[in-house]
Amino acid sequence: MATLTIDGVQVTAEEGQTILDVALENGIEIPTLCSHPLLEPYGACRLCVVEIIRRGWPRIETACTYPAWDGIEVNTKAPQVMEARKVILEMMLSRTPNVPIIQDLAREYGITEPPFPAEAPDEKCILCGLCVRTCHELVKADVLNYSAQGIERRVGPPFLEKTRQCIGCGACSIMCPTGAIEIVLEQEAVYQEKPLGPTSAVWVPSLQAIPRVPVIDKDSCIHFRQQDRSEGKIDDACMACQMLCEVDAINFEQEDEIIELDVGAIIVATGFEMWDATKLSQYSYGQSPNILTGLEFERLSNSAGITGGEIVTAEGKEPERVAIIHCVGSRDHNAHEYCSRFCCMYSLKQAHLVRDKTDASVYEFYMDMRAFGSGYEEFYERVQKEEGITMVRGRGASVEVLSNGKLRVKGDDADLGELVHVDVDMVLLSTAVEAPHDSSEVASMFGLSRKPDGFFAEAHPKLRPVETNTDGVFLAGSIQGPKDVPDTVGHAGAAASMALALLDKGEVVISPQVAIVDEKLCSACKTCISLCPYTAIAFVDEDNVARINEALCKGCGTCVAACPAGAITAQHFTTEQIMAQIEGLFRVPAEVEEGVKA
Amino acid sequence: MNTSKTQKHRADLLVSCVHDRAPDLIPALEAEVKRRGLEGEVKVVEAGCRGFCSMGPVLLIQPDGTFYVNVQPADVPEMVEETLVKGRVVERMTYQEPSSHACALYEDISFYSKQHRIVLRNCGMLNPASVEEYIAVGGYEAVGKALFDMTPEGVIEEVKKAGLRGRGGAGFAAARKWETGRKAEGDIKYVLANGDEGDPNCFMDRALMEADPHSILEGMIIGAYAMDAHQGYIYIPYEHTLSVKTMRNAIESARAYGLIGEDILGSGFDFEVEVRVGAHSFVGGESTALMHAIEGTVSEPRPKHIHTTEVGLWGKPTCLNNVKTWNLVPEIIGKGAEWFASIGTEKSTGTQVFSLAGKINNVGLAEVPMGTTIRELIFDVGGGIPNGREFKAIQIGGPSGGAVPASLLDMPMDYETLEEAGSMMGTGGVVVLDDRSCVIDVARYFLDFLKDQSCGKCSSCREGIRYMLEMLTNITEGKGKMSDLEVLERMGKSVKISSMCGLGKSVPNPVLSTLRHFRDEYVAHIEDHKCPAGVCKALIEHYINDQCNGCGLCLRKCPQDAITGEKKELHTIDAEKCIQCGVCFDVCRFDAVGVR
Amino acid sequence: MSGNGKDFEPRIVGFLCNWCTYSAADTAGVSRMKQPPNVDVIRVMCTGRVDPTFVLKAFVEGADGVIVSGCHPPGDCHYNNGNFKTFRRMPLVEALLAQYGVDEGRFHWGWISGAEAPKWAKLVHDFTEQVRELGPLDWKQQLESKEE
Repeated sequence: MATLTIDGVQVTAEEGQTILDVALENGIEIPTLCSHPLLEPYGACRLCVVEIIRRGWPRIETACTYPAWDGIEVNTKAPQVMEARKVILEMMLSRTPNVPIIQDLAREYGITEPPFPAEAPDEKCILCGLCVRTCHELVKADVLNYSAQGIERRVGPPFLEKTRQCIGCGACSIMCPTGAIEIVLEQEAVYQEKPLGPTSAVWVPSLQAIPRVPVIDKDSCIHFRQQDRSEGKIDDACMACQMLCEVDAINFEQEDEIIELDVGAIIVATGFEMWDATKLSQYSYGQSPNILTGLEFERLSNSAGITGGEIVTAEGKEPERVAIIHCVGSRDHNAHEYCSRFCCMYSLKQAHLVRDKTDASVYEFYMDMRAFGSGYEEFYERVQKEEGITMVRGRGASVEVLSNGKLRVKGDDADLGELVHVDVDMVLLSTAVEAPHDSSEVASMFGLSRKPDGFFAEAHPKLRPVETNTDGVFLAGSIQGPKDVPDTVGHAGAAASMALALLDKGEVVISPQVAIVDEKLCSACKTCISLCPYTAIAFVDEDNVARINEALCKGCGTCVAACPAGAITAQHFTTEQIMAQIEGLFRVPAEVEEGVKA
Repeated sequence: MNTSKTQKHRADLLVSCVHDRAPDLIPALEAEVKRRGLEGEVKVVEAGCRGFCSMGPVLLIQPDGTFYVNVQPADVPEMVEETLVKGRVVERMTYQEPSSHACALYEDISFYSKQHRIVLRNCGMLNPASVEEYIAVGGYEAVGKALFDMTPEGVIEEVKKAGLRGRGGAGFAAARKWETGRKAEGDIKYVLANGDEGDPNCFMDRALMEADPHSILEGMIIGAYAMDAHQGYIYIPYEHTLSVKTMRNAIESARAYGLIGEDILGSGFDFEVEVRVGAHSFVGGESTALMHAIEGTVSEPRPKHIHTTEVGLWGKPTCLNNVKTWNLVPEIIGKGAEWFASIGTEKSTGTQVFSLAGKINNVGLAEVPMGTTIRELIFDVGGGIPNGREFKAIQIGGPSGGAVPASLLDMPMDYETLEEAGSMMGTGGVVVLDDRSCVIDVARYFLDFLKDQSCGKCSSCREGIRYMLEMLTNITEGKGKMSDLEVLERMGKSVKISSMCGLGKSVPNPVLSTLRHFRDEYVAHIEDHKCPAGVCKALIEHYINDQCNGCGLCLRKCPQDAITGEKKELHTIDAEKCIQCGVCFDVCRFDAVGVR
Repeated sequence: MSGNGKDFEPRIVGFLCNWCTYSAADTAGVSRMKQPPNVDVIRVMCTGRVDPTFVLKAFVEGADGVIVSGCHPPGDCHYNNGNFKTFRRMPLVEALLAQYGVDEGRFHWGWISGAEAPKWAKLVHDFTEQVRELGPLDWKQQLESKEE
C-alpha cells in the first residue's frame, strides 16, 4: 500500500500498480495509445508522460510504466508535459492524418491541422505495438513483430509474408485502436461466424437460461486452440477472461466428467431436436443464406446475436418481403405426421418481430392455425388486424432461388382456390421438431419405450402422463412429445412432484407379483439362480434350497417357467391360474349350454 | 616486450592494422626475414590496433622503438636490409610531424607522447592471441590480488575510491552500480560487457577487444567476484567478426590457465563467460536493448525505473559495463585507487579515449586524462587542422552529443563541463569541423544516421527524428522557414524530455547544440539562402576566379564535364551542369576555385 | 364350435407380455383398429414366464393356433433379458409341436413393441387367416375319443 499525490490529490495504490492505473482508478485522465489492461506496460506512444517528483527530484516519465511508489508527487498537467504531448500529437497527426483516434486527441490538445505533409496519408498503423504484444503475451503465437528500425519501423509477420504460425484468432485486429489490421479469411482459417453458434469464444449458449452462465467455446478460444496446436506445450495462452474476471469464476481446467450418483428417482428430459429441413428439397433450404429455420431467425433477431438483433438479409440489407412457411416437416406424410404444436405461435411471433423491426411485408403460409393456449388466439387476431400480415391459407409448396437472389415461394391458396406465388427476400421455415437422434440409446439405458413418432412413451396417455413403465423414472417436457414453454413447465413440474413424492415417502411399495420357492419341492439344482436378471434368487447352503428376495424380485416369472421341479410359483400368475385361464377360454358356460339345449 | 618462453629474439616486429589494410604485409615480412636467415633473431607479431589510423599500417620495432608508418609489402626488403641488418633508419618510412621534422622513434611522436594510455596500455604492444604475453606484462595479477587479498566489499571500496565512472557514455559511478548489484537479492546474477559500439566514426571498443581482450576478461572476473556473480556475457555485434574471434579465443586460452571456469586459481570462486553475438545498431548498445538481444528478443529498450542491477537480464540482477570500464578495473586494483584518482579531474577521474575524426591531421584513437582541454586534444595530440584551415567546432559524443564551438576551445573535457555546454562525453567520438564544415549539414548527417539506428519504439524519438530531419534537409536545400527554428527548438526540447532511453533523450542534441551555438548559420541558410561553409549544394555555386592559370586539372577531374577553357586560359564553370561536388575546389592548387 | 371352409372360425390363444405386445394390443383396441375377434389374450408379465406346457395346454384345450409375443430383443425387455429366454425356448416348442404333428403354421412367436399397435392388428388378421386356411386342429376331440 502506497500513498502518493496526483495533481494535488492524495491517492493510494496497491503493490504493482502504475501511476496510470492509479490515475484511472481515481478518475484522473491521462492520454494513452499503447497501454492496455491485459498487456504489460510498454511505453511506446509517450503520450502519458507526466512530471514525477521523487525525493525532491523532478523528472518526466511515462505514467504507464512508472510504479506508483510511496511518497511521490505526480503532476499530469505540468506545462512541459502538456507541451511534449502536443508536439508528439503534432507529429503523429502528420504521419497518420486520417486516423480518428489521433484526430480526436490532437483536437483535444488544440491542434487543428497537421504541421507536416504526410508521406502516406492513408497510413493507419500508429506503431503502438498493441497487436505485437497481444500476439506475444496473450496469444503466444509470436506472429507479429517489428521489422526495420527507426523511422522505417513497421509491424507485420516475418518478412511481411503470410505465415502458417498465424492461427487466425483475430486478437490483433480486435486490439488495434485504428483498424489497421484486417483479417482476411482463407480456407484454413478457423475463425468463422456460425449462425447458431458462438458469437465469440466466451458466450452464453442460452440467453434465457437461469442461471445465465457463459461458457468457453473451445474451438474458437485462443487458450485451447494454442494448447491443441502445441500439443500442450503452450498452456498459458491468452487467459484474458481470467485476468479480467473479478470473481475468479473462470476455470480452464474444467472438463466433462462422469459423475456417479445413487438416486431414488430419475427425471429424463432430453428435449427435442430440430428436423433437418434439407430432407424436403422443395424448400431449397441450404441453397440460399436467406432461407432460415425458425431457430436461426431467433438467433438473428436476438440482440446478442450476430447482427445485434437487426433483421437483415445475408447481403446486409433490410428485407422488403418475408415469407413464413408453416408445417415444414410436420403434418406431412413425407416427413413427420404429427403436429409440432408450437410452430404456429412462434411463427406468428416472428411475423410480429419482422413487422416491428422492419418495414417488410410478411406472408404466412399456413394450413390451419393452432392457437390453443391462453391468450394465443387473441395474439393471432392482433397480428392479423393490427400488423397487416398477409395470411395465406394453404401449404407453402416450394421455395425457388431465383437468379437475382430473390426467393419465389409457391403455395396453394385454399381460400382463393388457386395456386399463388410471391417473390421475397427472406424465407422462414417453421420446421418440425423431432425426438433427439440418440433417443433409442436413452430408451434402452432407462428401460423405457417409445411411441411410433419416436417420442418417449408415458405410462398412460391420460392418467399417468409423466410416469413411465419403469418405477422411479419420469419424463419431463418434449421428450414425451412436442410442447411449448407453458406445457413444458407444467409437465416438468409434475415430473418433479412425482419424483419428490416418491422420495418423500422414504419407502417404496412393491408389486405383490413376486415369485416364491416351495422349499419342500426345491431340488437344489440352481437352474433358477443364473436366470434371474435381478439376482433376487440366492442359494441357501445350510438349508440346501433356493430362496427369493421379495424386495428384489420384479415378478417376471422366468424362473417359474424354468424350474424343473416346479418348485417356484409366480404369485398372481401361478401355473394353476394360467392353466385355468386357458381352460376357461374353451369352457362353454353352463347357461349358454343350457340355452343351446333349450 | 614479447617473451616467448622457448626463444629469445633480438627484435620483435609489432605490426598493426594489417587486418583490413594490408593482409599481405605479415607474410611478406615473414618471407623476407626467412630469406635473410633471421628467423631465430627476429619475430613478426600481428599486434592489435595502435590507434593511428591516418598512418596505418604501422610497424614498431622493439626493443629499440623504431616506428614506421604507411608500411607496404613493397617496403619490406629495404626495411629489413637497412634496419634489421644494417641498423639504420629508413627515413622515408618514418612519421613526419606537422611541424615538419621526422621522428624515427615511437616515443618521440607527439601523437603518442602527449597521450596518457591506460585503457589502451597494451594495444599494439602485444599479440592479442597470446595469453602468455598478457600475463608477461602483469596481466591477471589483479585477479590474484582481488581473489586472495581482498574481500568483495574491499574491491568495491577500491573502485569507489578510484572514482571510476562508466565509460559507456553516461558516466555513472561504477562502484554504485556494483554495490547495488552486490546487495540485490538473487541466487543468480550476471555481469555483462557491452561491446556494441554504435557511434559513427567510433571504434575504440572494437580496437580494445581486438588488441587487448584479456584486460576486459580480467576486469569482468574481478567485477563478478565483487558482485558474487558467476556468469558473464560479452555482447558484440556480429559484424565485428574479428572482435568476436579474438574475444572467444581469449576466453578459451584464459580457461586453459584456470582463469575462467570453476575454482579460479584455486580460490573457490567460479566464473563462466560467453560471447553473445547480435545484430548491430546504435540503439543495440543501450543496456536494456542489449539485454533483450542476449535474451533473443527484439533489441529495443524498456523502462528502467527499477535498475537493471536489480531486475536485468532474464529478470536477474545484472551489472553491465562498457568493455573500457572493465579494462580499467585490473589497473585500479593493481596500481591502487589513489594512483587512478590522481589522474584527471576530481569528479571525472582517469583518462578518456577519444576517437578523432573529421578535419584533423592525426585521425585515430587518442587517450588523454579527463579534463584535458579541447585545444590540447585537437592541436597537441591531434596535430591540428589539415591545410592550416580554421578550427570551427567539435562534435563530441557522436549523434547523442553536441557541437562545441571554437570559443570554448579551452574548455576542459569532463562529463559535467561537456554536458553544461550542451554536448556530452558519450563514448568519446570527436568529429572536428573546420570553416569548410557546415554544422547544419553535420546535424542533418547525424539525424540521417539515427533515422534507421533508433529502434523506432517511442513515437517521440521516431517521429522526432523524422520531422527534425525533414526540417534540416529543407534548410540545407534552401527551403527552410524561420518558423522552423522555433519548431525545431520546441520539438527538440519535447523529444528530449519525453523519450524513454538515453538514445531517444539525446536525439535532439546535435540540433539543439548547433541551434544554440550557430544560430546565425541557420539564419544564413534560411534568410540569405547561403551556406557560409560552402557545403550545402543547393545554396552554393562554384566559380573560377582570375587566379586560374589554365592548368586544366579541374577540367579533367570534373565528373560532369562542366568546366571548359583552353589551356593557359581562364576556365569557366557551366552552372547548369555543375553539381557542386567540390572536386575542382579540392584539386585546384592556385586557389582559383571559389564558392559563393 | 367347429366347421370347414369359410364358416370355420379358428380359436387362437395369445400369450402376450405385459409391457410390449399386451400394451400394443391394448392400443390397437383403444384405437379401434379393425381386427378379427379370434384371438383370446392371456397376459403374462414377461414372455419368459411362458412355460412350454402353456402352449401345449392351449392346443389340448381346443386352440387352433397359439401366439407368443413379447418385447424386441435386445434392449426392449422390461426385465432386461426375459425375451432372450423366450428366444431360446420357443424353437424347442416348435420342434416339440412338429413331433406331435401340429402344423407349422399354427404356432407363432415373435416381437411387437408397445408402439406397434398396427403391427399387432395385422398379425391378428394374417394369423387368423393362416389358421383358417389350415382348418381346425381339433386335438381336444381326438383326445376325448381316445379316452373313450
